[in-house]
Parts: sequence; structure tokens; C-alpha cells
Amino acid sequence: MTQPPVVKVTGLVKIYQTGGLPVPAVRGVDLVVEAGEFVAIMGPSGSGKSTFVHMLGGLETRTSGEIWLDGKRADTLSESAWAVLRRQKVGFVFQFLNLVTNMTVADNVELPALLGGASPRQARERREYLLSELGLEERAAAAPGRLSGGEQQRVALARALANHPRLLLADEPTGNLDSRNTRDVLKLLGKVHRQGQTIVLVTHDARVASMADRVVSILDGQIVDDAPIARAPRRPVGTAGDIVELHG
Amino acid sequence: MRVIGGSGRAEVRWIRADLRARRGQALLTIVAVAGIVTALITAATLLEDGTNPWRGLFERGRGAHVWIHTKGVPDVAALRGLGGVTDIAGPYRSAPATLAERGRKVPIALQESTAELPPVARPLLREGRWLDAGNPEGVVVEQSFARALGLRPGSPFPVTGLNGATHTLVVAGLAESGDQGFYPEWTPGLAWTLAPTLTMVEPAPGRTETVTGLRLADAAYTDIVVQQAVITLRNQVQRVSTWREVRASMELDNRLLGLLLALFGLAGLVAAALALANAAGGRILTQLRDIATLKSLGFTRGQVIRMLVAEHGTLGLAGIALGLVAGRLITTYALSGTVVVPLSPGPTLAIAAGTALVVLVAVWLPAWRGGVTPPIPAAPASPPGGRLSRLARLALLVRLPPALVLGARDAFTRPATAALTVAGVAVPMMMITIGLGCWATLDDFIRHPEQVGQAAALSVRPGDLTAQEALGRAMADPDVVTAYPGVELDALVPWQTRTVRTRALGLSGDPYPFPVVEGRMFRDRGEAVAGQGLLDLLGVRIGDRVRMTIGGTPLIVKIVGRVIEPEQDGEVLSFGIDSLAAKDATPPQFYSLVLRPGADPGEVRRRLESRSLEVDQAVNPADRLAVIRLIIVALVAVLALIGLANLLTASALGLRDHLLDLAVLKAMGLTPRQVMATLVTGTGLLVTAGAVLGGAAGASLSKGVIDLEGRSSGVGAGIGRAPTPGMLAAAVLVAIGASLLVALIPARRAARAQVPVTAR
Amino acid sequence: MRLPLLALLAKEPAHGYELKQALEATFGSAYPSPNIGQIYVTLGRLEKDGYVRAVDVEQSNRPNKKVYYLTAAGREALEAWVDEPTEGPRVRDEFFMKLVLAPLTGISDRMALVNRQRRHYLSLMRDLDELAERTDPGNRVARLLIEGAMLHLQADLDWLERCQEDLT
Repeated sequence: MTQPPVVKVTGLVKIYQTGGLPVPAVRGVDLVVEAGEFVAIMGPSGSGKSTFVHMLGGLETRTSGEIWLDGKRADTLSESAWAVLRRQKVGFVFQFLNLVTNMTVADNVELPALLGGASPRQARERREYLLSELGLEERAAAAPGRLSGGEQQRVALARALANHPRLLLADEPTGNLDSRNTRDVLKLLGKVHRQGQTIVLVTHDARVASMADRVVSILDGQIVDDAPIARAPRRPVGTAGDIVELHG
Repeated sequence: MRVIGGSGRAEVRWIRADLRARRGQALLTIVAVAGIVTALITAATLLEDGTNPWRGLFERGRGAHVWIHTKGVPDVAALRGLGGVTDIAGPYRSAPATLAERGRKVPIALQESTAELPPVARPLLREGRWLDAGNPEGVVVEQSFARALGLRPGSPFPVTGLNGATHTLVVAGLAESGDQGFYPEWTPGLAWTLAPTLTMVEPAPGRTETVTGLRLADAAYTDIVVQQAVITLRNQVQRVSTWREVRASMELDNRLLGLLLALFGLAGLVAAALALANAAGGRILTQLRDIATLKSLGFTRGQVIRMLVAEHGTLGLAGIALGLVAGRLITTYALSGTVVVPLSPGPTLAIAAGTALVVLVAVWLPAWRGGVTPPIPAAPASPPGGRLSRLARLALLVRLPPALVLGARDAFTRPATAALTVAGVAVPMMMITIGLGCWATLDDFIRHPEQVGQAAALSVRPGDLTAQEALGRAMADPDVVTAYPGVELDALVPWQTRTVRTRALGLSGDPYPFPVVEGRMFRDRGEAVAGQGLLDLLGVRIGDRVRMTIGGTPLIVKIVGRVIEPEQDGEVLSFGIDSLAAKDATPPQFYSLVLRPGADPGEVRRRLESRSLEVDQAVNPADRLAVIRLIIVALVAVLALIGLANLLTASALGLRDHLLDLAVLKAMGLTPRQVMATLVTGTGLLVTAGAVLGGAAGASLSKGVIDLEGRSSGVGAGIGRAPTPGMLAAAVLVAIGASLLVALIPARRAARAQVPVTAR
Repeated sequence: MRLPLLALLAKEPAHGYELKQALEATFGSAYPSPNIGQIYVTLGRLEKDGYVRAVDVEQSNRPNKKVYYLTAAGREALEAWVDEPTEGPRVRDEFFMKLVLAPLTGISDRMALVNRQRRHYLSLMRDLDELAERTDPGNRVARLLIEGAMLHLQADLDWLERCQEDLT
């Protein structure tokens, strides 16, 4: 009955050694993310939020503390074991350069499935489904460089979701996009979240963060706020004018 | 290789995509490796063929492994029935006779053959025509014998049989054979005639013998077959010869050749490693971001390394396979005139395995570098901002064009990349220079034979004459300056199971001009000089005394110097003829003749021969090593190719780094021409540094390397020559010129390209 | 509200209800729908100032309606409004007052204030997002208005972050 949380982090610390000097990036973070939750992580640049998400995916090693993914201890894993865990349970989207440049869009999306041990036919079917969901079927044979930034990010998202990961990690997925492309990516994120996808996402963009169930604020490597975003009950129908007055 | 399944598919998919994305580069890598392997195969084949002609002759003529000489015709059916025998040559009748040649009588063996070339033990016709029933006077003479006697197709061939009758036959053609060694190591000289002609020369059946050749399924059966044949034929057998004796008589002392091949093989392997490491390293460097992405997807470090090794290793192995095929094709078709059989499996396997190993090692290092990439795709790395170096500022002060200054700055912005480029040019350049050093050494052998112990181009043997008469006739020739009496004897050295060659030449007071490179020349009786091979064999040094027995007489000499000794792998001891006991020294076996400078030894030889003297012409070691020149040319070509391929990789990489800089430069107002000049200067400086460095290293190394070769081959140190300054300068300039041309192509394209508006 | 009404009347004379409809059609759901009473109050003041004049138009089966049209003085006032540059938004943020003053009283600490405000802004942002979903994508004016509101909100959030970094 009680499903373990998808993410459970206790006392996570990361200290970089820069020129012999210890520089703490993350200083004792505790966090629990239940299945199906969408958590946005906000904070000023340099606050350690990217480092934190990288550690959740095993892209960086932690200095101390515990990371539990899907009920299993993960911080003690070797680099290779982390890689295997990632391909099964974690999807990653970065701010840019998500796609392997010398592979076509189709190959990029099929890669995780193949890596996870799917047959070429299964991988192709999954890819066809994902790209058609994004309306990008006709770009399947294109090189990533020929896609717009928004299309690239959507393909990256499709690839991150190719293996039905338990956890989707994203680091500023819209940081490099204009507002129209941001909207396309947001729609997709909202859709997968409604389908029950657990998401932990670092962002600066209020529009992206406002989609989350919960917002976590990080300052100087520590969590300073962790609470759900309230639904404003008193304004069932809001207008822009409530926020910005037109001077008259 | 494990079955491709599961995650293996992802690796294969990536490799395929990557190869598709860079077909040209991949092809260049394959061609470079293939070129090296082809060169190695060709070189090895030429060497094998040059140092051991027997194998080729034997294979081509389908020679017989065993020859049985019997009094009468043997039981052919019984011989054919012996285990391991596949074919029978003959039986042929053979008769001893004498060739009357310019007053000399040379013993020969006439052997019966058919008007049609026999299928087994077939002589290989080299000049003229084969025997013809319509022309019964025609004989075909074994080539080395004909050369020694100066016979050509059409020459008269007066033969005297044992009964004293002389028959004037005519040389119809010259042929080679793998069934008999070369003259004069193998005597008597051989001539093939038709059966009726043989009967005419030697009508008495009792004075001929019968020779029968056995071709075996496997050369290893030789000893057993010989035993069985002797038993089968009981008392009939007079003599048996096998392929081993023939081969031994044809083999050259090939230690120097073998060492040179090893050197070139090493150079080729280093070049292959360099080409691959550069190509793979450059490619992987541009891919680090993609690799990071792959790792974030869940590729493990091991998977990435395996994938990269597989990709680049496959290219290398494909190159090796292609090279093996190309080498085989070239040696079979393009060199069909010089090379008879393809390389034997041993060296082929060694070359294939050696290059494969080098390929894997060369690829593994950059692959490992790729594997340890952190899994976070970093933002596009900007090249480190280069401050203007002191040199560049100086250049600005003296008002050099800005393109030059910027190019100079560019060249050294990334020290590691710059070092790689310099090494990529310097190493092939160094090898080329060493190759040129070998060439110069060979030239020196030919121009100054006296420096390799061949001051005397000719030597005469008295033959039927007395020594005094021979000396008188030789000295009568206007081109003969000096004649040194000489004797060559084998000496037994205590503690050694084998004999060594001793050469007594000239008098202690008037010694032959041996090329002494260490110590001094002998001046007194009881002093001697030796080759490096002898010093090594006996474990002695200059100043030591050695004791030996020559024909039962003990001889103690003190070694006072070391000479360059190209013969007998350097295992020769030389001293004055007066150091020998009188019974061994008189009369001298031969006189070594020093000719007037500029005299043509061939001309003098003919004149002396017309005076009934037996004349030997010294074979310059450079002639035996002539095959090396071909290899040097091929190797230089391959090395040059590799250098250029390295350069292309380097300049492509440099360009990638500079794309943003270029936009800035253009925005600053540099014209396309100036941009191009900047890029070419950047590359050009590195190339010049590499070429000069490589040339200098090669020049200083080549003498040492060749001397090392000389030392370990027994000839002795002191033969090495650096390439001439002119040759070296030309090589460096050509290298720089070609490199600039190559660098110009991408630079031109970049200069014309649109300025990228934004960095993606 | 005065000058937008003048602008609408410059196009053609209209009565009060027509003006309300025109406003709604132009700004869509993004703008608070004007109250008809408020419109008549404004028109009355404009008439008193001499910017508009009302003419009674008879209707067959209904009471007369007032149709307003622009006077020369009204046109002048409109032109002056259009010609002069508009002031930018001024920071007169109530939250900032709280943030600076509240800790002095010991009622609340700044960190909690900032966090609560951030979540509030995000919930506003979510409302705007939903509004944008409901808005007809063909209505460019409405869309731009919403986007403007979002950008202001993003700026407020960024400012909040600066406040948190510097004041807490």
C-alpha cells in the first residue's frame, strides 16, 4: 500500500575542491518527492540547485548524505551502476545540447530504448509514438542541428521519456527558449505530469515553476522554502487587469 | 566478440551514425593504415625475395626438392610410388664437358631437356629462346653462369667432350633455375641441351649419368624420401642433392637487410600509431559533448570506451585488411617482374598482428580519454583567451602585418593541441630524414667503395698461370695501379665450433688500404685488424691477442684496429700476407687490383679476361641493398601522406576552435584574405616548427641509427652518413610547402564562410 | 477610463452601451469588463468638461437614447494624450513596505515573507496561464496583455529573489 517515495534525500552535501579550497555547493539538503509529484526548484544562480539535480541523477558524486531512488539506496553506487540506474529509471533534460549531434532525431529518441535492451522494433514503435505526440514525425530523419531550439528541447524531452522513467529530471529546460517555444515545452510537461509522471525540475522561469505542485527554494546550498503552490480560492476568474493596472 | 544484444545495439547504432557523419575522414584513416601495411608488405616481400631468391625460383619453376644422380636410368615407377612424392622430373641424362673460353677451360655440366619446357623443375627462361628441335646446336645456359662468363644469346659455346672432340654450339637463351645454386658458389656451370646434342658431345653412354628430380608434397618429407630412395635404388645412387643445399648456396648474408627492414617496420608502425591516435584523438575531442550526453543517458564508462575502441579500431583493422590485400595484389601484379612469390605466411602474420596491436593501443588511449568524460554536457567551451605573447608584441612593434601577428598568437593558444600538431609533423619528418640518411649511406658506398673495404674493384686468380705471370699480365694493364697479393683461409678458433674467415692481403709493410675506423692499421707481422662481427663473436677488443689454427699451423695475432667489413657479417680477420706461414702464403691465391680513379671496372675486367686471367669483380654492398631504395621511396610517400593526414585533422580542429574568433576578426574589419593569412600562419608556424624539429632530429639520429644497424649487423659502426644538407633542406621545404597547401584548403573555406550571427 | 472612451468616440458617435461592447470586443477577457453605470458616470463628466456632447435620438417604441459625439475640445484633449509619452510603471510596492518594516516589529521574519510572496506570485502566474489557455488565440490584443502581465510577474519574482539574497 505505502509506495516508497520516488526520491528521498537526507543530509546531502557537495563540496568542490577549487584550487585546494573547499567550496560548498550543497549544504545539507533533505527532500522527499512522492510518486506523481511535480517539484520545481528555484533559486538564484550559484545557489547549488543544478548541482543538487545532477547529484539526484548520479551525474555528480555527493560528498556526504544519502540518496534513495524508488526505495533503493543510490548514493553508494559506482559510476557504472549509476549509469545503469539512469537508463532504467531516470530521464534527463538539460538546458541545451541535449541531443547527440551526429545522430538523427529518430536515432536520438530510440537510443535510450535500445540502451535499455529493447528490440529495434520496439524502440522504433516507441519513437514513432513519442514523435507523433509531439507533432514531429516528419522531422524524424533530420539532424538535430536543423531543428529549432524548441523542437530540440521537445525531442530531448521525448528521449528522456522514452524508457518510461520513474523520475524525470530537468535542468532549466526552457532556459534557452523564447516564449512561444517555452509554451510548447510547457504543454508537453503538463501533459506528462497529468499522466502521472514524477518530475523534479530546476528553473528560473515563473511560468514553468507555476505548473509544479510544489516549489522548493534553494539559497546558498540550503532549502529555505518547501511548500505547495496554493490555488487562489477567491478569484475563480482572474484577469490580467488584476495584476497590472492599465493607467487611465 | 559478444553477441550484439541489449545495450550493444545502442552502441552499434551510435557507431553507425558517427561513421555516416564523417565518411571522408573515416576513409582517410583506412587509407592511411592500408598504405602503411601495403608498404610494409611490399618492403618485406622485396627483401625476402632479394635475400633469398631460391623460394621464388623454386615455386615458379615447380622445382624438385630432391635430385638423385644415378649411373643408369632408375626405376621411375618405384620412385613415384614413394610416400610424399607428387611429381618426377626427368630422368635426364647429364654429361660433364669443358667449355673452352678465351683460352680457359671451364668445367660444365650438360643436361638433357626437352624442346617443350617440362612441367616440373622447369628452367625459367630469362633471355633469348628455349631449345628448339630445328636448331640442335642451341643450348640454354644457366643465367648466373652465363653472367660470370659474359655469355649472351647468340654467343658461341665451344664444348669439348671427354673424348676431346670440340663442338661449336650456340647460346640460344639464358634461364634461371631453383634446382641448382648460383655460379660460382655452385659448380660446374649448367647448360641445357636437347638429347641428340648431348649424345653428339658425349656418345659413350658409360660416361653420362642420369639425374632424376622428386617434387614432394611437403618439404618436410625430404629426409625420409631421400632415405627411402637410396634404399629403393640400392647401389645405383651416386649422389643426392636437396633443396636445402640449393637454398643455402643462394642465400645472401642478410643481417643488415633484416635489420633495415626491422627499422622501417618500426617506423611504419610508429607512423600508423600516430595517424590513428591523431585521427581518433581529434575526432573524440570534438565529440566530448556528445559523449557527455550519452553518459547522462546511461552509457557506462566501459561502454563508451568499448564503443570508441570498436569504432576506431574497426577503421584500423579495415585498413590492415585492405593493406594486406593491396600488398598482395601489388606484389603479384605490379611487381610481377621482380617478385616471384608472395610473402611467406610468417612475416605476413607478423605484420598483420603487429599493426593490429599498434592500432588497438593507439586507439585505446583517446577512447579512454573519451570514457572518463564527466556526464554533464557543458556549455560550449570557449578557447582560452590568448594574451599576446612577447613575440607577438615584438612583431607588432616592428610593424609586421596583423594577420601574421594574429596567426602567431593563434598557434600557441592551446599548448597541448599545438604540441600534438608539431609532433604529428615532426615524427614523420624525422623518419623521412632517417630514410634519406640510409639513401645517402648507400650513395656513399657506391661513390667511395674504398670506405667499405672495396678499394680493389677486381681480383685476379692465376688459374692455369703461375702467380708471377698473372701479376705481370695484370700490372701490364694501364688502368691497374696496384696489386696486392692475397690469400683467404678459414681459421679454427679455440672454444669455437666454427671457423672464421681470415684474409691475408698485402704486406705488413705495404698493407692493403683497409678502412680502419678504430685503432690503427697493422704495421708489423703478427698484427691484424678485424670486423665488428669477429670482435663480437670472439668477445675480444682492440689490443687483445687471438690465437687460431690455420691448416694446422698455430697463428697468434694482436688485433690493433677495427675495419668496416661488409662481408661474412663482419666475421673476418685481416692481416698482412707475411704474417702467414710460408706454406699458406705462397703462391698467393689472388691479387686484388686497385684501379686508377675513374676507370671502369667492367672494361678492365674484359681486357684482363682477354689475357686469360680469371677475374672477379667485387659486389658493392649497395648493389645488394638496392631494394632498400625502393622501400625508402615507398616509405617516404606513406609517411608524407600520414603527415598530411595529421595536419588535416589538426587544422580542422583548430578551425572549430576559431570559428567564433573568426567572426570577431571579420567584425573587426579583416578582409577574407587576411583571415586566410591568419589561419595559414597559425598552422604554418606549427608545421615549420615540426618540420625543422623533425629534420634536425632525423639528421642527428640517422647517422647514429645506421651505425647502430652497422654495429649489430657485424659490418661495424662508421658507415652511417647523415643526409646531405641540400637533400635535407629540400625535404624540409617540400614538407612545409605541401603542408601550407593542405592548410590553405580549410582556411580558404573558413575565410569565405558567412560570419555566424549567434552562437547556438 | 476617460481617454479610452474619447478614443472610441473619435471613431464614430455612439451611445453608452455600444461603448461598453466595443471595449469588451477589443480587450477580451483579459481586461476587467467595464460596468455600464461607470461608463455613464464618466460620459457625464466628459460632457460637463465640454469634451463630448450628447444628442437625444428618438426611438419608435422605446425611450430616447443619448448618442455622444466628440467636440473640438475633446479632440484636442485626445490628441494631447496620444502625443505625450506615457509614464512607466512605478514601484510603489506594498509588499516591499512589509518586507522592510515588518521585521522591525518582530511580527514576522523576512524569509517567511519572501517565501509566502513567491508562492503567491506563482499561483497568480498559474491563473494567468489558465487565462491564456481560455483566451481566443486569434485575439492578439488580449494575448499581448496577458503576456505583459506575465512578464511583469516574472520581473517581480526576480526582484523577490534579489530581495531574499540581499535582505535575509
